[in-house]
Amino acid sequence: MDQLSQAAINGVMLGGFYAVMVLGFSIIWGVMGVINLAHGEFVMVGAYITWLLSKQLGWEPFATVIVVFPVMFAVGYALQHGLINRVIDRPYLISLLVTYGLSIIIANATKIIFTATPRTVDTAFSGFWRVGDVTVPITKTIVLIAALIIMSGLHLFLQYTRLGKSIRAAAQNREAARIVGIEIKYVYAITFAICIALTAVAGTLVAPTQPIYPFMGPPLTLKAFAITAMAGLGSIPGALMGGIVLGLVEVLIATFVPGVGTNLGIVSSFVILVVVLVTRPQGLFGGLKPAGAH
Amino acid sequence: MIGDIMGVNESERPLLEVQDIYAGYRPDFDILKGVSLHVKPREIVCVIGPNGAGKSTVFKALYGFVNVRQGRVLFDNRDITGARPQDALKAGITIVPQLRSLFPQMTVYENLEMGMYLERDKARIKRRIDYILDLFPRLAERAKQKAGTMSGGEQRMLEIGRALMWEPKLVLMDEPSAGLAPLITKAIFRGIHRLNREIGLTVLMIEQNARQGLQISDRGYVLDLGQNSYEGSGRELLEDPNVRRAFLGG
Repeated sequence: MDQLSQAAINGVMLGGFYAVMVLGFSIIWGVMGVINLAHGEFVMVGAYITWLLSKQLGWEPFATVIVVFPVMFAVGYALQHGLINRVIDRPYLISLLVTYGLSIIIANATKIIFTATPRTVDTAFSGFWRVGDVTVPITKTIVLIAALIIMSGLHLFLQYTRLGKSIRAAAQNREAARIVGIEIKYVYAITFAICIALTAVAGTLVAPTQPIYPFMGPPLTLKAFAITAMAGLGSIPGALMGGIVLGLVEVLIATFVPGVGTNLGIVSSFVILVVVLVTRPQGLFGGLKPAGAH
Repeated sequence: MIGDIMGVNESERPLLEVQDIYAGYRPDFDILKGVSLHVKPREIVCVIGPNGAGKSTVFKALYGFVNVRQGRVLFDNRDITGARPQDALKAGITIVPQLRSLFPQMTVYENLEMGMYLERDKARIKRRIDYILDLFPRLAERAKQKAGTMSGGEQRMLEIGRALMWEPKLVLMDEPSAGLAPLITKAIFRGIHRLNREIGLTVLMIEQNARQGLQISDRGYVLDLGQNSYEGSGRELLEDPNVRRAFLGG
């Protein structure tokens, strides 16, 4: 029983990270119709910036968010403007190939610069809380709280600001957005910038909880697919629910299936992805727009 | 007024003047091969014609969705040839497209708000929404409902309401009856006519449903093969034997 509640706590906490990690992927897909296969690489880049600042300058890892967000916002804006914009009106396959190429370039460039050695990031918040027989790492608690804050902030931004409304409008009906005077290219660039920045912040959050390495991206992209399939495109509550489901499944398998446990984690994302796509292709929790509408 | 001295009545001066335009999607193929029309303030003008006559392309040319290769578009005494959607909006033209143009996951209220996306003054937006909800009590009842969950007729009403948010000088309506049941179509046409009488709304519309479109129109144009083929008052066109035979089903 204690083992179960421990696993449940760990699963929910992992889910918080997954939820933040998936938002950028799912919003870019929902708003622009682009599936960003380099998604996991942007998590990785965020994690490396955090590692660099904390190792070289002695910054508290969680505080590096104030650098990671604006820097990756600029990177995202430039990438959308210079690269993604050129392929956005073409079939899905083109943007898939472009972002796939991007993922290979980013991962290998990182390997050349920082080598393939896994890196760890130390934080001052490394203790535990004890609740009965269950231990709760403080780091992971911070990650979960940060995740909830980020998601609420994003929700308020999309729901109530003029820019947020223009992003939702462009997602729901591109032509209609144009006729009310929304500059689609600008909205897309801002959306991409925000999403890449958020994705990199997910890297900052995960860096103190596990080793980081140049090729950590692809499994994260796959998990983003699985969660988005559950969540529905661009749905923030969906991302949270989907993230927690995946976190729980992974941790429960790792805890209760001896021997192969941890390796089954990635397989469970596959299974979830396939099962959801076959049984409920519109997602489990709704989203930015009705399924099939574009 | 100079107009009076020159013997031209001010109100007779066209608001929109399309002068002999050539336009199309591809550089080597024109859909419009010399189309001219004009709309005077407070008029309802209807463009009819068979499928492929280029009716929708006229609107796309006005709204910057296709390139105008030759000819001019004058609006309110300004040359707006080749205007982008934002420019057309700023000049005072809004459009109600043929295909569903709402934000389905947004509420009726939010959709109206989006109609004034380019306006920064929140108090003014609020006043305008109140005015539109006053004009369309049915929308007021449903202000908090998601637009996508309303009936086809209500959605069309909201599209028209949203186009009015901007206080346009001219509204372009691309087949307001498209996809609606006959009774609803009648109500929509009645509504357009009422807006024209009550608030002096100027409308240029394209209609597949030529008879009903012309019935509420002051004037009409018949397009065929990308060119003007007939024009006249709504009544004249409805009674013209050639137009009747070719475009109104006898």
